[in-house]
Amino acid sequence: MEARSLAARRGPGGARPFAVLRAHAGAWSLIAVIVALPIFYGIKDLSSGYQAGVMGSHAIINHDLSKLGGNLVQGISNGAIWALIAIGYTLVYGIIELINFAHGDLFMIGTFVSVGLWATFGLTLATGTLGLVGGLLVVLILAMLISGSLNVLIERVAYRPLRNAPKLAPLITAVGFSFILQNVGLLWRGGSPQGVTDLLRQNQTVFHISGVAVHRADLLSVGTAIPLVLGLGWFISRTRSGRAMRATAQDPEAAQLMGINVDSTISLTFLLGGMLAGAAGLIYALYETNVWYFQGFEAGLIAFTAAVMGGIGNVRGAVLGGFIIGIIQQLSDSRLGPQWTEAVVFGYLIVIMVLRPRGLLGEETREAG
Amino acid sequence: MLRKTVGSCLALGAVVALGACGSSSSTSSTSGSSGSTSGTVDIYSSLPLVGASTAQTKPMVNGIKLALDEAHGKAGNFDVKYTSLNDATAQAGQWEAGQCATDARTAVGDPATVYYIGEFNSGCTEVSLPILNQAAIPQVSPANTLVGITTDEPGHLPGEPDKYYPTGQRTYLRIVPRDTIQSAADLQAMKDAGCTKVAVANDKEAYGAGLATQLELGKDKYGLTITSNTGIDPKQPNFRSYASTIKGEGADCFFFAGIVSNGAVQLTKDVNAALPTAKIFGADGVCTGSYTNEKEGGVPASIDPLIECTVATLNLASLPGGDKFLTAYKAKYGDANPDPYAIYGYEVMKLGLDTIAGLGDQGNDKAAVLKALFATKNRKSVLGTYGFDQNGDTTLKAYGLYKVGPDGNPLFFKALYPSSTSG
Repeated sequence: MEARSLAARRGPGGARPFAVLRAHAGAWSLIAVIVALPIFYGIKDLSSGYQAGVMGSHAIINHDLSKLGGNLVQGISNGAIWALIAIGYTLVYGIIELINFAHGDLFMIGTFVSVGLWATFGLTLATGTLGLVGGLLVVLILAMLISGSLNVLIERVAYRPLRNAPKLAPLITAVGFSFILQNVGLLWRGGSPQGVTDLLRQNQTVFHISGVAVHRADLLSVGTAIPLVLGLGWFISRTRSGRAMRATAQDPEAAQLMGINVDSTISLTFLLGGMLAGAAGLIYALYETNVWYFQGFEAGLIAFTAAVMGGIGNVRGAVLGGFIIGIIQQLSDSRLGPQWTEAVVFGYLIVIMVLRPRGLLGEETREAG
Repeated sequence: MLRKTVGSCLALGAVVALGACGSSSSTSSTSGSSGSTSGTVDIYSSLPLVGASTAQTKPMVNGIKLALDEAHGKAGNFDVKYTSLNDATAQAGQWEAGQCATDARTAVGDPATVYYIGEFNSGCTEVSLPILNQAAIPQVSPANTLVGITTDEPGHLPGEPDKYYPTGQRTYLRIVPRDTIQSAADLQAMKDAGCTKVAVANDKEAYGAGLATQLELGKDKYGLTITSNTGIDPKQPNFRSYASTIKGEGADCFFFAGIVSNGAVQLTKDVNAALPTAKIFGADGVCTGSYTNEKEGGVPASIDPLIECTVATLNLASLPGGDKFLTAYKAKYGDANPDPYAIYGYEVMKLGLDTIAGLGDQGNDKAAVLKALFATKNRKSVLGTYGFDQNGDTTLKAYGLYKVGPDGNPLFFKALYPSSTSG
């Protein structure tokens, strides 16, 4: 680990010209890679046009950017959900360098809790606006608290006893907990995807921007995720507990010597990650209007990819990664077909990793040097 | 502290154990008998008994048991031991190839097996049929419609149907008309509804992809345009991109070829949001309450008026013996309006029992049962009068068109006798 770090410090005049070239080319190449798809389809829509509908037997061909705009809006709202989940991965990795494989399934439990709670509170399509907003706000808070507490419990049972064990041990317990949560979900709501009430009528258009429709689902997703991310950022940078989290992430032993309770700080990190997963769970249920015990596996994989793409351990990177993946998914779904989406997303990840192994906003972690 | 940790782990272990209980299972029943017997014959059914398809398969099993009860658990002089196998797993939420093979091997391993009922999903039968064929066990499906299982009509895949019969001898029959007929009925229904441009989505399973192919093959005969035939990924959380794509294609109707557990509800919701006036069609894979009834996890009630679907069952009350079946079903299960597949379960068991009984002392000889099944002609049944052709296909040709009733479940609308099939 140290040798690798030292080699990297040799600089432009060192013995690894390829690495230097990659370092310089990397920034521009990254930008080019990230914007390649939107620019390509933007030019294509303007020059060749796209079929916007059919009138009689004639196709309506438009030459504008509204289709691309629609893809971007939906991509951002999808990406906001991935970002909230990705933060959980990145927080935990940043502080104890563990890939918490159970996190995606915790998000699934958050979804199930949310749906259960709104049914308990009697929220239906007939509920008035004020009742719905108030009810969902209570559901959001409870779902966040329940998911956060569950995450703390998981840390207490499955990870803390293994703090000094080989790194493979907590990784295996994380995988184990992932399966346990999946089984809980399976028992809870069965093995098939289930539709849930579209409480917010999420497909209703709220307004248009230059011909691009913005739906309730888009506002819900972004409008909930951004304040939560900003709040988390404020908490980490401005509060005493946040500073303790950063100190523990940097050097747990030194932090302990400085009087920081490392165990409590790690528990707090799991609480925050779990709370965001709970919030993502509610947004997901309202946004997708269907729930499934296996949704956490899929979402976890995407969110983990977002965290790695953004630079694991970096909160802003996780958010950026979430938005980028959301947009890539939408563009691929809409232009290439959903059967190609996973290949495209992971193709992007590979290119970004090759050009910048630490991810877009990655910082050097204790393990990476 | 250690005690607390161990306690938590034990609790979690219990949760896992409970989870495991949700996987496949089987139930056996041997109805009481009186009088002299020549021994026992074993009958198995293999159907998905967990997941969204249970809205269709549980009534089907009820129908099977009802027929057995009416026969007092006997077929001629033989006592009948019936075992209901589950070809689905809780984890998959639907049929699973490994479970289909396990069920078939269970029947093969029982020397008293003379009749195998199954399966519901054509993809599952693709797995079980070669296994049962090698053991020469007669297999009768109450629901499979995939063309390639029995014929090489247009739409079959390379190697079909011969690859399912490694012995070269036919051992499979079905009591529902195949997809060449069902697709023609669907095309007829869409034409009657005023559709001109139809977007088709399929779930990429043998049944869904096969039915979608049949629709494409037959569209010209009904003057319809298929704007696209897309294989969807059932695991997708939403299908908004697909919906906006078919909106751009100018589709005025939408058809889903697949089963409920493969994303049918979400897909329909997203298509309806993009094309609010488009009529929505489906076949027997979705013609059930778990798709049409919001209270059972189906589509919102506001979409119901747009939905039409086909099942081979016609108006039960108008069929010979239909009223009697409905009365008996209600008396036993308390349901006056069972899923259309209940009657198929009833008939498939009755066919087996009658065939075994008709063979006298040879009723425990599976080869004799197979021969007698293929020789069935002009059988008067609750489905109407039918027989089997040399491929094992039923001679029935009619499909029932269903709309959604006030209770949210499919309700018989009219019978369709398609004038020309896609094949």
